[in-house]
Amino acid sequence: MAAQARMRSAKVLLINLGGLGTEITKNLVLSGVGFLSLIDDHIVSEGDLNTQFFLSKDEIGTKRLDSAVNRIQDMNPRVTLTVDTDDFRQKPDSFYGQFDLIIATDVTTEEAIRVNQLTRKFSVPFFLCGLNGLSGFIFVDLVRFDATDEKLQSSIKTPLGALSQNREVVEVTEYLNEEQSKTYERIVTRNLYKPFEQVLKEGTLKGKLTRRQVKRLTNSVPLTFALFSYRNGYAGVTSHDLEQRAIEACVQLGLPSENLKQEYIDQFSQQAGLEFAPVSAVIGGTVAQDVINILGKKQSPLNNFIVLDGISLDMHIFEL
Amino acid sequence: MADASAVRLLGQENYERLRSSRVLLVGAGGIGCELLKNLVLMGFGEIHIVDLDIIDLSNLNRQFLFRQRDIKQAKATTAARAIEHVSNSKLVAHQANIMDVDQFPLAWFSQFSIFFNALDNLEARRYVNQIAQYLRKPLLESGTAGFDGYIQPIIPGATECFDCTTKETPKTFPVCTIRSTPSQPIHCIVWAKNFLFSQLFASSGSVSADEDLGTDNIEEIERIRQETNELHELQELIRLGDKTRINDIFEKVFVKDIEKLLAIEELWKTREKPTPLYNFKFDGTPNKNLNTVWAIQEQINAFVLAIEKLMQRLPSENQIEFDKDDPDTLLFVAAAANIRASIFNLPLKSVFDIKQIAGGIIPAIATTNAIIAGLSSLASLRVLNLLKDQNKANPTELNMAFTAKASNMSNNRYLSNPQLAPPNPRCPVCSIVRGVLTLSQNDFETLRLSDLVNAAQKKYSYSGEVSVLDKSTQRLLADFDFEDLLDKTLAEVNVARGTILLISDEQDSEDGIRAPVELYVEQGESAGIRLPDLEVPLVKTVAAEPDGTNSEEDAFMQGEIIVGDDKNPKKRHLDETSESPAKKALKTEEEHVVILD
Repeated sequence: MAAQARMRSAKVLLINLGGLGTEITKNLVLSGVGFLSLIDDHIVSEGDLNTQFFLSKDEIGTKRLDSAVNRIQDMNPRVTLTVDTDDFRQKPDSFYGQFDLIIATDVTTEEAIRVNQLTRKFSVPFFLCGLNGLSGFIFVDLVRFDATDEKLQSSIKTPLGALSQNREVVEVTEYLNEEQSKTYERIVTRNLYKPFEQVLKEGTLKGKLTRRQVKRLTNSVPLTFALFSYRNGYAGVTSHDLEQRAIEACVQLGLPSENLKQEYIDQFSQQAGLEFAPVSAVIGGTVAQDVINILGKKQSPLNNFIVLDGISLDMHIFEL
Repeated sequence: MADASAVRLLGQENYERLRSSRVLLVGAGGIGCELLKNLVLMGFGEIHIVDLDIIDLSNLNRQFLFRQRDIKQAKATTAARAIEHVSNSKLVAHQANIMDVDQFPLAWFSQFSIFFNALDNLEARRYVNQIAQYLRKPLLESGTAGFDGYIQPIIPGATECFDCTTKETPKTFPVCTIRSTPSQPIHCIVWAKNFLFSQLFASSGSVSADEDLGTDNIEEIERIRQETNELHELQELIRLGDKTRINDIFEKVFVKDIEKLLAIEELWKTREKPTPLYNFKFDGTPNKNLNTVWAIQEQINAFVLAIEKLMQRLPSENQIEFDKDDPDTLLFVAAAANIRASIFNLPLKSVFDIKQIAGGIIPAIATTNAIIAGLSSLASLRVLNLLKDQNKANPTELNMAFTAKASNMSNNRYLSNPQLAPPNPRCPVCSIVRGVLTLSQNDFETLRLSDLVNAAQKKYSYSGEVSVLDKSTQRLLADFDFEDLLDKTLAEVNVARGTILLISDEQDSEDGIRAPVELYVEQGESAGIRLPDLEVPLVKTVAAEPDGTNSEEDAFMQGEIIVGDDKNPKKRHLDETSESPAKKALKTEEEHVVILD
């Protein structure tokens, strides 16, 4: 299995082992990724204990990675695990060039932009994800990725050409499945991506959603976007300030700001950056599933932004 | 403060409710391990975990609480132990079958505020669903198969229950394809597992009259029936444990039966003829590599070894069920399927491939389980009304969720999240009036079935004859022309704690017919038949419309529905069109689902 072999030789870097990082680590280690590097300089706090399961009560005050490493390795001895308790922000640029894929969790907007600049520099696929209490998001920048999907041929052949802003069918080959004696198509879809910084500046949903979709769109989307505008963390978030930024986000995204609901604004202002185990599980599972998919070079990857609304369980994929 | 994040999310008051809640998790497998971790981290006060299984090597790549050293240990207790280091919850593990009514009587279930199903089989899912209906407790149902997964909150009386929509009916092939004219390897695997294995090692009746044989050839139908009965005789042979007879079994299955098939010339006019396996011999060297396709001699050797082992086991186990994780049964099925495939000039498969197909499993995916367990635990907060500053949602405002992108149903939705539908008024499970009948231990020995029938007639105003069906076993106990059991005691007709009785009106009076009543039989202290107070409506009988649209409903009202009988999906009167697209897309891991690779 070529996909398995690629998985086993892949080098993945995960930044920060918080609740979300823990979920992603668990999933990647179980799946048999070849080399997983973890970088995290945090100390175990009481708060970690209800978002993480690689730590235990008597380890408060020790370095998170030092405490977790044995439990992680124990899940799958065949994964080569590297732990680094340095501050990822202090690492030289070249550090980021040694990986096949980088995942950043629990970082500020400013930090995300910088890491993404470096992943672009080295053409390394990049995942950014984070949690805001009952909500969570994923941003993906694979630079350029050709995905191969196989499907039963329908009456109309799949045409070449653009599917959407970021996706284009570049190749279609037919082949016969002899066991079922049916014709299949092997479709190569080219996915183009934009860096995080550009998406923050220019990303919009104008013309990409139907009126019905706009009307029903969860407030989690503009509010997640509004939280990105706090470039260095969420210390100064108030409900009123967030509302102003959410209105600006609505303008940029092309969403009607009158749809913003006070209860959502309050929820996001109180829960900015807050980790919660079930949401970690959903976002961490989704990221890991897509990472495994990409390393195996299989089906169409996520492109390029996802927000989960943990109340309605709404989870759309947007091309920004 | 250790629980600061949960308090910020839920508010102090709700958080304290969470801390004092007791919840039930059924299943400690792929979804169960993930769910247990989530429930512990969320801080539920007390969590009971029920699972009968022990840990198998093949679980380790996705059930993250289990390690190599835990193999052959109980899943429930091992999972609880493995998460203890971060737990502030009281964890209670039960290595047991959730359907064991002695260990888990109805009253036991009533201590929980919610049930989480993390199960891999329909039978237990239906069982917990039914218990939830009796106790009016919310149930969070979930399932995964490969990259597909779903969660569905079930609020009894207010939203669809597990049985309100038809579940994916098992993929079936016409009997004649399986028994006479296989044309794909899968047909041989189905034959080996569902026919040969079950005939030889599990008790199983002869071909029933209404089975779809898929052929009108009288000669062939006769042959199929004869073959079934002969195989049953072979089972007797196997029970004697005489290994010298293995030769006879082999010759019967792979030579004589094939010769009989060849004699039906009609079958081979358009098909390639099979070749009986003459001159077989056993030379004893097995191949241990489960990943390669073996030579025919190696298949024969494996077949003989497996049958020897199963013969040894049969006297003590009485009957053996196929289990893909039971190596003896797997090897038997794999070898038999391959020998048959070779006789019909079809490609052979490795044991590993056959395990996948015969187990009806698409490989389980760890990430799908993680996502689904995350959604299940998340959705429970809204069901239990534990979210801060959120008004209590109407049940039909709650959402279910299923994987949309991974299931190739959408490009721009990772999840689809339709709101819960109201109960299906024709659901054979949740539309029925139900209650609990508590009897003393002595009552079972002294009360007669007729006492119960008379009491029910009086209590629920049935105007005339009623029928009584034991739903647990699908046995008819009494109806207007079957009165043989009426004088027997309840114990004699096997009515016991946990029995579910369906009482239906047989009398079609002018006013209409009385709706059926379902009674859960519980054992308690108080003696005598005290039927629960229930409102049993009178249902107008509607004359069947010329186009027959009401025929389904009429059949239902007469209580002719067979529930929980997967082998006979045709008898289920569920409205196909009411099935949501979500359900249609789902392939939960049912026993008989066969997925081609």
